[in-house]
Amino acid sequence: MKKHHMRRAFFVTLVIALILCCFLAPYAWIVASSFKNQLTLFNDVTPLSWKAFLPVGGTIENYQSLFKRTNVLTALANTAIVAGGQVALTLLLCSMAAYSLTRVSFPGAKIVFVLILLTFLLPIEALMVPLYQVVSGLGLSNTLLGVMIPWVASPFGLFLLKQAFEELPVELEDAARIDGAGHVRIFFSIVLPNVKVPMLTLGLITFLFSWNSFLWPLVIVQDPANQVIQVAIAQQGSPTQLPNWGETFAGATVATLPLILLFLLLQKYFTQGMTTSGIKG
Amino acid sequence: MSVSNTPSQASAKTKSKTRKPATRRQKRDWMFAAGFLAPFMILLLVFQYVPLLLMARNSVYDYSLLNPAAAKFVGLRNFTDMIEYDDASVSFGVTFLFALGVVLFVIPSAFSLALFLNSKLPARGLVRTMIMLPVVTSSVVVATMWSFLLDPSNGLINGVLNVAGIGNQPFLTSTSQALPALIAMTLWQQVGFGAILFLAGLQGLPAELTEAARIDGATRRQVLWNVTIPLLSRTTLFVVVIMTVFSLQAFAPAFLMTQGGPQESTNLIVYHIYNTAFIMQQAGYASALSVVLLLVVLGISMAQMALLRSRWNY
Amino acid sequence: MNTRNLFFASLLGATALWGTGAYAQDTTCTGETVTLRILRTPGNYPYPAPMEAWQKQNPCVQFEINEVPFAQLADTISVQAASSNPPDIIVYDGPNTQSYAAAGILLPITKYLPKGWDEDILPATKAEHSYEGEVYSPGIEQTTVAMYYNKKLVEAAGIKPPQTLQDAWTWPQALEAFKKCQQGTAGSPTVWGLGPTRFGNGQPGLVYQDLIYQRSAGDPKADPSSSAYKTFWALSPDGKTAEGYLNTPEAIEALKFYRSLFNSEGVAPKVGIPNAFFDGKACFYIDTPAAGNALLKDPKIEWGITPIPYFKTPIVHTGSTTIGATARSRHPEIAAKFVVDMSWGEYAYMNVSQRGNLPTLKSLFPRFAVYNSYPMKVFVDQLQEWGQPRPPGPKFAQYDKLVTDALRAVAFGGDPAELMADAEKKVQRVLDR
Repeated sequence: MKKHHMRRAFFVTLVIALILCCFLAPYAWIVASSFKNQLTLFNDVTPLSWKAFLPVGGTIENYQSLFKRTNVLTALANTAIVAGGQVALTLLLCSMAAYSLTRVSFPGAKIVFVLILLTFLLPIEALMVPLYQVVSGLGLSNTLLGVMIPWVASPFGLFLLKQAFEELPVELEDAARIDGAGHVRIFFSIVLPNVKVPMLTLGLITFLFSWNSFLWPLVIVQDPANQVIQVAIAQQGSPTQLPNWGETFAGATVATLPLILLFLLLQKYFTQGMTTSGIKG
Repeated sequence: MSVSNTPSQASAKTKSKTRKPATRRQKRDWMFAAGFLAPFMILLLVFQYVPLLLMARNSVYDYSLLNPAAAKFVGLRNFTDMIEYDDASVSFGVTFLFALGVVLFVIPSAFSLALFLNSKLPARGLVRTMIMLPVVTSSVVVATMWSFLLDPSNGLINGVLNVAGIGNQPFLTSTSQALPALIAMTLWQQVGFGAILFLAGLQGLPAELTEAARIDGATRRQVLWNVTIPLLSRTTLFVVVIMTVFSLQAFAPAFLMTQGGPQESTNLIVYHIYNTAFIMQQAGYASALSVVLLLVVLGISMAQMALLRSRWNY
Repeated sequence: MNTRNLFFASLLGATALWGTGAYAQDTTCTGETVTLRILRTPGNYPYPAPMEAWQKQNPCVQFEINEVPFAQLADTISVQAASSNPPDIIVYDGPNTQSYAAAGILLPITKYLPKGWDEDILPATKAEHSYEGEVYSPGIEQTTVAMYYNKKLVEAAGIKPPQTLQDAWTWPQALEAFKKCQQGTAGSPTVWGLGPTRFGNGQPGLVYQDLIYQRSAGDPKADPSSSAYKTFWALSPDGKTAEGYLNTPEAIEALKFYRSLFNSEGVAPKVGIPNAFFDGKACFYIDTPAAGNALLKDPKIEWGITPIPYFKTPIVHTGSTTIGATARSRHPEIAAKFVVDMSWGEYAYMNVSQRGNLPTLKSLFPRFAVYNSYPMKVFVDQLQEWGQPRPPGPKFAQYDKLVTDALRAVAFGGDPAELMADAEKKVQRVLDR
């Protein structure tokens, strides 16, 4: 009996270790390699050695030349602006719309809702070409606003907040209403303060989506001064020269680290947001 | 918890108050609702519905982005071309195979991981964090990472295979291995997402049901197969749909890792559309491909809603 | 404030304007400033020195430069040229001139060309940049590829690569050299026989570099209906037919050899390795004169050049990036003047010498002493004796993409006949539209 338990524990530990390896090793390898130079980078891979996963004989040259030679720093700043702006606008627009749909009765509400519901099913990737026409027609190509604006009226965000607003007891507002408070005051001083967690969740998911988006910024922005980080690291090669691998790894590390840190800090809300509904991309 | 949150609640509220002359207060409410909804609805119309109409219009023209003014009306020619030439069927075929592969592998792996996360075994928190890392990592970084993992001469995976006594594999440079390699990558990237969805499902199960079965003398395995899995069919369907839709929209792997090759073996449909519009300069044909993709995704989503709304529930 | 004051004020202002106008010739601008938007790849011409010199003569012109990576250049041009705010000047890959001209993107510049241009320009350049009787780009430089080698590695293997066109290797001879010089196991050696390209993502298949294998198996002197003739041209002379030009017996033989380099012989890698040649990890390596000029400045390794090998007819592709003004520019006159000036006389010399490729004006050749002797002379000789443009036509971009995909699939081990048949069909579909 005891022996059986031992064997099982060993087996379980092995499986857990294997899973952890599968997910951790690629990250360790990328980060370690970002500190190695071109000539020695792959020496530890064939034949495989533990040194492949640690920055042995490290150098920060890759990061130095990445920042000097490419627009990665500008791109990081741009991405922060886009993601921040997208979060702010999404939260504002979605909460306003969700409030109207849950707290005010008006004719045509059903049509409005169906209109929104339908877009939830649209694959944005399929709309890339006409969307490009629309956004550049508005004179927003090559701008940071053009990168974020198509996504801020997010049906996903609306659903998430609408659900939260519905769960909020109407009695909370009754007192204020009797005092003669209008919708605007109720919205800002009573409803919003009571949906902080769903708002945070939506904010995080939007941030993640925005930070990681690639196809749209690739299409709409050509000017490197307005490039976002995902496109910048995908295109860091100079015109006729492949970037050194170490630099590619450094770029990947730089583009990922902020999100991973954010995720580790606020894991609970991320997970909550993702289980609430399938995010796109 | 799902996409299929029906409009019934919203409409129920409005219905009770119809057919009466509007009071001043109601009118004020309408004005307010209009003002509060307007920004959202205007952006939604401009950035979702206008492109949709444009796309439908473009799909019956032959034009290039280089010179849109020279567009030529071609009727349904773009659609008949999809039948006449095999690029569309190859690309959709590859995409469906990709989606099928992803779903077939993600579902059992994600479910097993969820069972593990729902158990009392050690290191659960650590595993949960680790499997979520690829989910929050961008597809660009994942694609870059995996191009190096899969490098035919120096890649880490070949390094590991060499340790196990297996020779170097060509992976992305082989017509037979490229798509499976992309599926493996997507599995790695998405399994954590599937797992937390299943975990939420497991945690939502009424504990009495499984306990009752155990008391009735069922083994753990019997409970798993006869109680837990059937009860999770709703969640499973949801994960299947999310993974399918996600796979149908994959772009970065084909763009960054294989350029759709070799021999179109990884020519995923969104990459094919991008390529057709921006490189092959056939924006009309690209729009027609987009229309078909849109209908496919809509069909899948509709089917899911129908299934979820049916009595397939506990 | 009365009218008199106003009058004085405006008089004062006018005097001030007139005063500066007197010096405008070399320092400041009178009248309206014009901003020209330039779209180019990073590190490409027009270079700062000639631009500043030009601005001294044209003080009212400012520049705004947008740079995109080469891999994205064609997409970007297609997107921006059609936008509401197109760039005024584009620097683009030369063979696209005809497609951009046909699409109405480029401004014809024939009437802006200086006197004597027709006599001074290399005929291949003029042909490449003309469409329906108009010149659309003056061309700045001309370039082609040759095969560099690492002297130490090659000598250690006892190989003496030929230095003149007359002695050039055939591909089978070159393969022997690759095999002899390569170190380590075939397929994953420590030193490769033939290093990977530095263009694109580093993978094989680029039309510029790799279509010459099969074209060199053809024969331009053969009967125009023969497969040997068609193999050499790789697209019908009128640019309307691809069928019968790619999938020929000669091409397939050549491609089987090409495939063996990456597979059965294992002397060339299937994926890119940055700087492999410059780091001493490849014996041979195909590149433009830019690499040689970089090595002359910073001799990381000892090196030499041998002409590109061939099967039957030696051939190298010509062409490089070039410069043009856009048809929808808001300042077409000034944009055209800038474009033409940058490629003529002293400005052209400044641009060409900085980049390290060959000039395209005959009058400039004597000023580039480095091309008068081995090793760099190989490039000049190749250009004059063997140079051919990539198959031109208004659908070059599509041809380039489709044929590159097919060549890459062959390099990865695919069946040449099947892939070339498929490429022919796809190219034909594009040409027929």
